[in-house]
Amino acid sequence: MNKLIQNEMMKLIAKKRLVVIALIIGVLVVLFTYAQYKDVQRERDKLGTNDWRTILQQQIVDTTNRLSSSRLSDEWRQELQISLQQKQYYLDHDINPAEPGAPTFIRIFLENAIDLFIPLMVMVIASDIVSSEHSIGTVKLLLTRPVRRWKVLMSKYISLCLAISLIIAIAGLLSFLISGLVFGYKGWNAPIITGFHVTGSGLNTSDVKLLDLWKFLMMDFGLVWFVAIVVGTLAFMLSVLIRSTAAGMGVMLAALISGAILNNMVSSWESAKYFFMVNLRLTDYMQGNPPPIEGMTLSFSLMVLFVWWAASLAVSFLVFTKKDVF
Amino acid sequence: MSKNYVRLVTITGAAFFLLWLGGLAWAVGEYYAGSTESIQKPSAQEKVVPNKKGLTITAIGDSLTRGTGDETGKGYVGVLADELKERTNQPIQLTNLGINGQTSGQLREQVQQIEVGRQIQKADMVLVTIGGNDLFRGGEGLMDLETNTISEIEKKYIDNLNFIFQQIRKNNEDATVFFIGLYNPFIELDQGKEMSKIVRRWNYDSAEVSAAFPKVVFVPTFDIFELNVNDYLYTDKFHPNTKGYRLIAERVASLVTW
Repeated sequence: MNKLIQNEMMKLIAKKRLVVIALIIGVLVVLFTYAQYKDVQRERDKLGTNDWRTILQQQIVDTTNRLSSSRLSDEWRQELQISLQQKQYYLDHDINPAEPGAPTFIRIFLENAIDLFIPLMVMVIASDIVSSEHSIGTVKLLLTRPVRRWKVLMSKYISLCLAISLIIAIAGLLSFLISGLVFGYKGWNAPIITGFHVTGSGLNTSDVKLLDLWKFLMMDFGLVWFVAIVVGTLAFMLSVLIRSTAAGMGVMLAALISGAILNNMVSSWESAKYFFMVNLRLTDYMQGNPPPIEGMTLSFSLMVLFVWWAASLAVSFLVFTKKDVF
Repeated sequence: MSKNYVRLVTITGAAFFLLWLGGLAWAVGEYYAGSTESIQKPSAQEKVVPNKKGLTITAIGDSLTRGTGDETGKGYVGVLADELKERTNQPIQLTNLGINGQTSGQLREQVQQIEVGRQIQKADMVLVTIGGNDLFRGGEGLMDLETNTISEIEKKYIDNLNFIFQQIRKNNEDATVFFIGLYNPFIELDQGKEMSKIVRRWNYDSAEVSAAFPKVVFVPTFDIFELNVNDYLYTDKFHPNTKGYRLIAERVASLVTW
């Protein structure tokens, strides 16, 4: 088994996929850093100060004014109200919600990358891990060895999981190194508030607690990793089912993008919450952002993702061990 | 490709696998652990360092402060800040805390917030507009000109205004406060004459309250909108338009000295 995994890892490394992914992430992080930097600068120019309290107070007042507009949809109004209450809470407790520094950048990056960017990167590896063996014909060589089929697939799955873990680590490391050049490398111990619970009537702040940013980041990384594993497993299943890598990728891409679109419009279609793609934004629960459909919680989303994960893993193994290869 | 390299990547991957798994478990545990200790609000408000370079303006109040109706979005506060910047060649730091539809009661709450207090504390100049929503109630006030109801509303308003000025003075003893008076947007309507009378008395009482505090200047605007009111009003016939705001700003600008 160990040898098989080593073999699969060697194939992965030889394909240089991880290097490509690292390059893509690097380029995008440079772009995001620049965008973030511009954003900070514009805010400072507008208010003539970089005192975060002044900026936050101004944001609170601006949001309040947007709320007074009558042309707001109910969901958008609720979302604004919750973000307003959070900001006020931060301000009342004299805590900067976005302490400048690389760790804060990583946090924002992870929160925005969890539902599309990281899954896409994972797909680059997962989509062709099995189907490419078909397309270049090496699958026969692999299966004629005196090894059980499930072991072959297992070694592929394990190396996929290892690669996903590496991708998350690369994303974290690159965003730390690059954004730190601009924002500085400090801020690991900055406090951040978690435990806001969104209820039907608004924001419940009775369970909030203060965490050091590095702890919060560890949790965020864990959640992002879980999402990446689930998406990777789904792509893995498609790679087993569909011989064509492009078709498998297309299906997965459609699912992910439909999730991003659905997130904005499913609030009235309650059973949509059993789709995996509307459950990807796990970090929102830590932040206390309202879920796309009322009643969704962290454990609910984790359960849904877990069921999808288990099902697609089972299907992959069943199909791969039974399938005729010719 | 060396075997050791592959082994190294594999082991690194495995290490991160375990690390992220730990992070996931931690996140779930922490999320459901509940609060252990409550977060303390900072008890004492720390003294702010005043902005040494340039002039700091803090504006509080209602939609007039916000600039509703001005196509450029600046309002009289923005125009005034621009004008002062030009005149003095100093950087101006402007904090606009105006909220649409705010009444004197709501402003009374707002000025008690710690951060709003801090903003007032570091200001060299405080601009206030309030009372329009108390009196006109979004046009409803026009229907109901009963002297009793209005004097009741006014009593509450005067009380709130007093409190607001006290709060400003408590936070900042030196800043000049400009309090912008009301105009009558309904002056050309049927009941415009009666409304004008009420607004004049309202302004007079507001000026009296302002006079009771040091360095609080009441700035009248009634006369600006008296003759050609429709030239200076936005399409909602209630808020000033760009020209109207410019006139208010010029009037305040002429009063600013330092």
